[in-house]
Amino acid sequence: MSKSAIWSRPSSRAAFLTLAVFFAAAVFAPFVAPYNPIAQPDIIALKDLPPSPAHPLGTDPYSRDVLSRVIYGARLSLGIGLLATIISVTLGVAYGAVSGLAGGIVDSVMMRILDALMAIPRLLLLIALLASWHSLPVTTLVLFLGFTGWFGLSRIVRGQVLALKQSEFVMAARAIGANRGRIIVTHLLPNLFSVIVVAATLGFANVVVLEAGLSYLGIGVPQPLASWGNIIQDGAENVSGLWWLSLFPGLALLATVVSLNTIGERIRETFQTVR
Amino acid sequence: MISLLVSRGLQSVLIVALVVTFSFLLIHSAPGDPFAGALDNPRVSAGVRARLRAEYGLDRPLPEQFGKYVSQLARGNLGWSFSRGRPVREVLADVLPRTLLLMGTALLASFLIGVAVATVQVSRRGTALDRFLDRASLFFASMPDFWLAILILLAFSYWLPLFPIGGAADAVMHDSLSAPGRLADSLWHLALPAGTLTLLFASGIARFQRGALLDVMPLDFIRTARGKGLRERHILLRHAMRNALLTLITLIGLSFPDLLTGAVFIEKVFAWPGMGLTTVDAVGARDYPLVIACVIVGSVLVVLGSLLADLLYRWADPRLRER
Repeated sequence: MSKSAIWSRPSSRAAFLTLAVFFAAAVFAPFVAPYNPIAQPDIIALKDLPPSPAHPLGTDPYSRDVLSRVIYGARLSLGIGLLATIISVTLGVAYGAVSGLAGGIVDSVMMRILDALMAIPRLLLLIALLASWHSLPVTTLVLFLGFTGWFGLSRIVRGQVLALKQSEFVMAARAIGANRGRIIVTHLLPNLFSVIVVAATLGFANVVVLEAGLSYLGIGVPQPLASWGNIIQDGAENVSGLWWLSLFPGLALLATVVSLNTIGERIRETFQTVR
Repeated sequence: MISLLVSRGLQSVLIVALVVTFSFLLIHSAPGDPFAGALDNPRVSAGVRARLRAEYGLDRPLPEQFGKYVSQLARGNLGWSFSRGRPVREVLADVLPRTLLLMGTALLASFLIGVAVATVQVSRRGTALDRFLDRASLFFASMPDFWLAILILLAFSYWLPLFPIGGAADAVMHDSLSAPGRLADSLWHLALPAGTLTLLFASGIARFQRGALLDVMPLDFIRTARGKGLRERHILLRHAMRNALLTLITLIGLSFPDLLTGAVFIEKVFAWPGMGLTTVDAVGARDYPLVIACVIVGSVLVVLGSLLADLLYRWADPRLRER
């Protein structure tokens, strides 16, 4: 019932459809993109062209085709977001589950460390990290984003584990002699599922925006690679003259984030009413 | 209350100490140094680079550099900014007030607007207006901050040139204006950056406050108030609001990092000469002392914000006051 409740809402269907389009564009980028996203065919005659039939989203100051860059940008922006989310969800669930299961002094030490980590604004932490790299490899960016994104989730997971530990079905499992591993895998994880899915969806949206922001500041994805954020940065020197460089990648970004947030909220609502 | 203040104060100091250590280690463990850029310049010889490194103490062992940094920090000396050629403390003294002005204005405005929107939504719940405001607030809460800022800049400074395209004051005219004229000029420059930050932040507050109000509405004391025959409006504004505001105080304390993050991007887009823009410029110039100082000051702001919210919460809730 819960799954169909999510699917039956038009807004969530639109959200899934939007995401499907962007993911398809990301996967099939070489077949969909009309031009090579990093080629600079004619830096004098073809630079800064407004949208036209030949270049539906215009060209940038290096004469590169913006539509192709937005399509390839989907690849990097969504790819980085997805990988970073997988890292942070894994870390968050592991840390929260260990802390909650261990209890006692281990739990309180782990929670104090978490308090300190949560007090540092993520953007400033990333700026401090990224500031010292001349040209950042994309894998490092993914790791940095993943390693700074798990704090909130681990606290939620810990709370849930603490509550579940006392529940009757876990007590029953323990009473019939189930070992720790079995309790975690068959009893705790399925019950944490909805919390994790919601956090992953909202975290994914968050990290996509964060990567775009960092690339906009010039410390994210390095040129000549295209990400939605650094396409916007290419037009930042002349926002009014080159509005198409800000508008189109931004719309792609916005559509992705609104879709992810819509889906996240729907899943949350569905599971809350069921519970 | 005193013991609480002491323990929360100690906790905050500990957090700031961790931040100082983290950021120092991060910056110094990464490849490159402030003079690495000089490698590209053939006129700067290896000897000159070595001398510069020695002059700034960058050739000393890491623990020694850290010890020196901390002892200087304790005396309020934040170091020398390479890119601006003046002490970091002076740079921050210039830019921090502007960031506080921006954040303070936005926080106040979004609190008022967010609470008002949530109240309207709850009093008209289930109506088209409620659904519209819900969509609108989700939309703005999803908006990437820097992109919304760019759109607003395009719309109200370029296409409809109502506001200045950046800065905190008119570069030419400001100093020659009369006092009210200077105030008007400053407010005119503040309007778009603060408005953008408000739009982003108010939507989050509205969403949260609506939830908090709806959580309170089914409780017993509301039913009692209804049973006494109080008007719905009075129940919502006096009884439910007071309880829901408590949760909101916690939220505001927790969302200081978001406010600061928003300020960084908005300052960049509107060229608002505050700490955010300074941080971004310092990163571009590889000005380590300035970057570290901005990160530390930013974290201190966040820690202070959450401390303040915590104390406010305990003061506002009579159930916690006596302990």
